[in-house]
Amino acid sequence: MLLHAALSGLVFGFYFTLVGLGLNLVFGVMRIVNLAHGDFLMLGAYSAFWLFGLYHLHPLLSAACVLVVFTLVGLPLYYLVVPRLLAARDSEMLSLILFFGLQQMIEAVTSIAFGTTERSIPGRVLGSGPVRLLGQALPTSWVFSAGVSLAAVALVYVYLYQTRLGMLTRAVMVSREEAVATGIDLHRVCAIAFGLGLGLAGIAGVFAPFMLGSVTPAIGPEINIAAFAVIVVGTLGNPLGTVLGGIVYGVSLMLMQTYLSSWANLLPNLLLIAVLLVRPTGLLGRRVRRA
Amino acid sequence: MSPEPLLRVDRLVKRFGGFRALDGVSFHLVPGEVLGLVGPNGSGKTTCINVISGLYGRDGGSVTFRGRDIAGSRAHMLARRGINRTFQSPRPFLSLTVRENVEIAAWNGRGDGTKADLDGLLEQLDLHRHAGRAAGDLNSAQQKTLDLARALATAPKLLLVDELAAGLNPAELTRMAERLRELARGGMALLVVEHLMGFIDHVTDRVIVMNAGREIFEGKLGEATRDPEVIRVFLGTAHAR
Repeated sequence: MLLHAALSGLVFGFYFTLVGLGLNLVFGVMRIVNLAHGDFLMLGAYSAFWLFGLYHLHPLLSAACVLVVFTLVGLPLYYLVVPRLLAARDSEMLSLILFFGLQQMIEAVTSIAFGTTERSIPGRVLGSGPVRLLGQALPTSWVFSAGVSLAAVALVYVYLYQTRLGMLTRAVMVSREEAVATGIDLHRVCAIAFGLGLGLAGIAGVFAPFMLGSVTPAIGPEINIAAFAVIVVGTLGNPLGTVLGGIVYGVSLMLMQTYLSSWANLLPNLLLIAVLLVRPTGLLGRRVRRA
Repeated sequence: MSPEPLLRVDRLVKRFGGFRALDGVSFHLVPGEVLGLVGPNGSGKTTCINVISGLYGRDGGSVTFRGRDIAGSRAHMLARRGINRTFQSPRPFLSLTVRENVEIAAWNGRGDGTKADLDGLLEQLDLHRHAGRAAGDLNSAQQKTLDLARALATAPKLLLVDELAAGLNPAELTRMAERLRELARGGMALLVVEHLMGFIDHVTDRVIVMNAGREIFEGKLGEATRDPEVIRVFLGTAHAR
């Protein structure tokens, strides 16, 4: 039972890495908190649901579409909202208020448009029968979703460490002022990172019906808390630290569900409180927070 | 006939709330000239550099670079047009290597950023031995040199130097002063903010002394030290004749 919980936890950990990745990328680059992150994830899930329902589109193709569309939507949204925030004296606090408003709006509009019924996609769409890992049987849809999550993490790694734009992004993460003086077009770099953050939330949303069972328009805040727990554990502002946070979160969640199931829902809050009290810089510490 | 000014600052005003950090400052700078900005803390020297380099907006007056008003231009655009700066407290990209720091600047400025150019620049500034090290591992003098390298990699025509000499030992000071003079000999204009008068004397062609956001003297540093208003500002009324 312990091995099964640990393996399931690892699989869920990879998925929750993807859930937190976009939020951490946006925070790392812009130092703003996108409280609507969970709602973009929810919109990704609804997109996958409708694309599957109407066109029988495979979730993998839906993920590709959602990545492109959400990233493109993120660009004008960035220019509409974020430059004003960055110019403000307390951009982090203002971003909380502004994106909270956006989150409420998205949830309300989605509820009006599609109702509050739970939506899901059958797990067999991603493959039938369990996958056996170290003698343990895990649902194919979980393993598939975890694989996509790892691919998305790899994509972000390649973007940050193997491309010129990624190097500029890392430079902005270290010092916005120095980056501007160096000649970096701050808003271009930030807009792309913001768009990519939404795109990653969208992909996580596509696989949410398989990992979370179902989605409703009200799932955003719950996702946000999980995403915050993941990125605070893994070090706020360090996108690749999210992998560690995701794994810790996923394994803890599965262990709790196995041995203390009635307490499992408390996990995100417990992790957040524990890390903030004991190691507020996250498990990887301040050194890597500089990107 | 004197050459056409590269930079012309005319009655520049910058306010922070009710405080006038710059109160009608005017000066010009020609290619190859080194102009020093000196004055007590809070006199507006760094604010002046921040406005010219686009970090701050202005509240009045004009800044003309190569004949064009650059008001409203953002810092990254000015870097591409040929204005760059160093910082009083350099903040290099700590987790990136020295070479990456300089490469990024070269991509975004006017320079070609070819490998040979960057190698040459790193060697010229004695940074080539540290090229593969993370900038965060350098000591403060090396980080200041890296900040200069970062600015130079953008191939500026006008370099704004903000207290580059602070914290350097005498040997490093001499070397830094020589470097700046060499840049000027190559045709670059430099605006140097500095508190170390020996350094200013060695590097600059003329100085502007500022107090409370205004220029109170313009000319050679030697003449400034005999100016009653300058003496009053630096040493107090008892010393001024």
